[in-house]
Amino acid sequence: MSQNQPILRLAGLLKKFNGFTALDSVDLSVSEGEFLAIVGPSGSGKTTLIRLLVGMDEQTDGTIWLRDERLDTVPANERPTCMVFQSLALFPHRTVGQNIEFPLKIRKVDAARRKERALELLNLLRLPEHYYDRRINECSGGERQRIALARALAFDPEILFFDEPLSALDYRLRKTLEKELKDLHQRTGKTFIYITHSLEEAMVMSDRIAIMRKGQFEQIGPGEEIYARPQSRFVAEFMGEVNLFPARPGEGAHAFEGLAVDDKAAAQQGLIAAEGAYLMVRPEKVRVLEEGERADFTTAGTVHAGYLLGSRRQYEIERGDQKPLIIEIVQDGSPPLADGARVRLGFDAGDTHLVERD
Amino acid sequence: MKTGRFLTAALYLYGIAILVALYLPLLSVGFASISKSRYLSFPVRRYAFEWYGEALSSGTVADLVVTSLITAALVTLVSVVVGFFGALAFARYSWRYRKLFQKFVLLPIFFPQTVLGLALLMWFNAIGIVPSWKTAVVAHLVWITPITTLIIAIRAYSFDPALEEAARDMGCTTLQTLKEVTLPLLAPGIVSAGLFAFLLSWGNFPLSLFTTGADSTLPEWLYAKMVSGYSPLVPTVGMLSVFASALLLLIAIAIPFLINRARSTESA
Repeated sequence: MSQNQPILRLAGLLKKFNGFTALDSVDLSVSEGEFLAIVGPSGSGKTTLIRLLVGMDEQTDGTIWLRDERLDTVPANERPTCMVFQSLALFPHRTVGQNIEFPLKIRKVDAARRKERALELLNLLRLPEHYYDRRINECSGGERQRIALARALAFDPEILFFDEPLSALDYRLRKTLEKELKDLHQRTGKTFIYITHSLEEAMVMSDRIAIMRKGQFEQIGPGEEIYARPQSRFVAEFMGEVNLFPARPGEGAHAFEGLAVDDKAAAQQGLIAAEGAYLMVRPEKVRVLEEGERADFTTAGTVHAGYLLGSRRQYEIERGDQKPLIIEIVQDGSPPLADGARVRLGFDAGDTHLVERD
Repeated sequence: MKTGRFLTAALYLYGIAILVALYLPLLSVGFASISKSRYLSFPVRRYAFEWYGEALSSGTVADLVVTSLITAALVTLVSVVVGFFGALAFARYSWRYRKLFQKFVLLPIFFPQTVLGLALLMWFNAIGIVPSWKTAVVAHLVWITPITTLIIAIRAYSFDPALEEAARDMGCTTLQTLKEVTLPLLAPGIVSAGLFAFLLSWGNFPLSLFTTGADSTLPEWLYAKMVSGYSPLVPTVGMLSVFASALLLLIAIAIPFLINRARSTESA
């Protein structure tokens, strides 16, 4: 999907508010037709970034390039980009049709052509044509999402930005719209840049995920890669439930807190217990060991709490004063682990990943 | 929530009591204006409408109406324009001392109007301006602009600033944003602010008393005639003034309705 020429390029983009650095000299390059999700907790700078990109705010330093042209010097209303707002920002005093046609009206497209395009977009977004004359307040949450999207597509932007538009919807509707959005991205071939604090949303839809932390990109890459090989503890924890074992460099080349280790297997995988590093294993990779069964890394503890997660069951395993271990076992009909039972746990070096920093 | 029979009765009673308290006194002026006798006494023995004819043909009354009308119209225009931009400044932009300024702007409402009138009169004298209906316009503005600002600000606060940003994002210039988004959304606030401004100026007595100088507005004249030289012309002119206000109110209520109709035919 990605082509060579980047459609959008940020170089050293910096934004300060009264001495507070909201965006700390970020660089980024987005390919034509890509679906990029920018994910981060609140306050990580993602909203600041998108506001700079659409021109609602001005950067303190740095540049934004759209292909070969400077974008940051262009006023917001002249930028060939469009954003779907968190609140959707549909005009309550206009009908659905008038909302969708709005960007065309501003461009002085004649009324007949405008209506034709609005009806096309209603079709594209699977809304019935008679919605054209509806009032916004007569539409449901999901319909409003589609109308906002149709309006943004009517603008025909080079890049379409999304500022967490699905965050206010209930779970099922959100899931449906996530899939529709991904489908729409494929059908229109446009470049989508989607901001969200929900990793799940980012994973479902995007080609690449950029994780933000304290005004910087912590890691950028395809979802699978970020999930399997996070570069920092922050990303590892942000990408879902995870077990992290701090390195104990003083105790051996492959020593991690609370784990018995098979040194040969650990060495083969290059799992060096460097200062500040963590050994990471996802809950679904940890097994409950039978009597005498071996694993590259082993530990033991007491079953503390169990939660049913649909197809899997999650347990917290208490291990003295160390952080409880989280494990997930696929429901296969075997009886659940009893509360308070002593268990031996293990996982293999190949299922782990070395996280190098905090 | 389902209201019980007792509560319903109590609510009706309450409503009726309020209406009676508000409108019964007005009714007595109405009766006085159509009574043939010089002073009002119940029951009214003979009705006559001659004072209405008198009032409508009187040059004095016409002058008063013109003065009051021009004053109120100017006050409405200026206070709504100033209030509009003031409200936007409060609701849309954050600047230093904004909160403080917001409170100071509203302060004149809380002054007793007589004190405000006196203060303004002394001020006009101090800077050498001869009071006339024009100074009254200024006096009314001091008191009414905070009110229009408040009314429009309430409306401005209640709509999502992202609407304006979205308009800009989709290519609107500042002026287009104002025309396409801000103004239509603030319209109800602007209409009610204008209505308030007009009626408050039209009926204002204390500020006018101090600041009109040799000119006279309707309420001032009514008061003067009450004090000396009463005739049934007083309640008659009073009633005409009420009718004028009511007419304005009806027009104001009709405006949004008419706009809506015009808009729906435009889009069809």
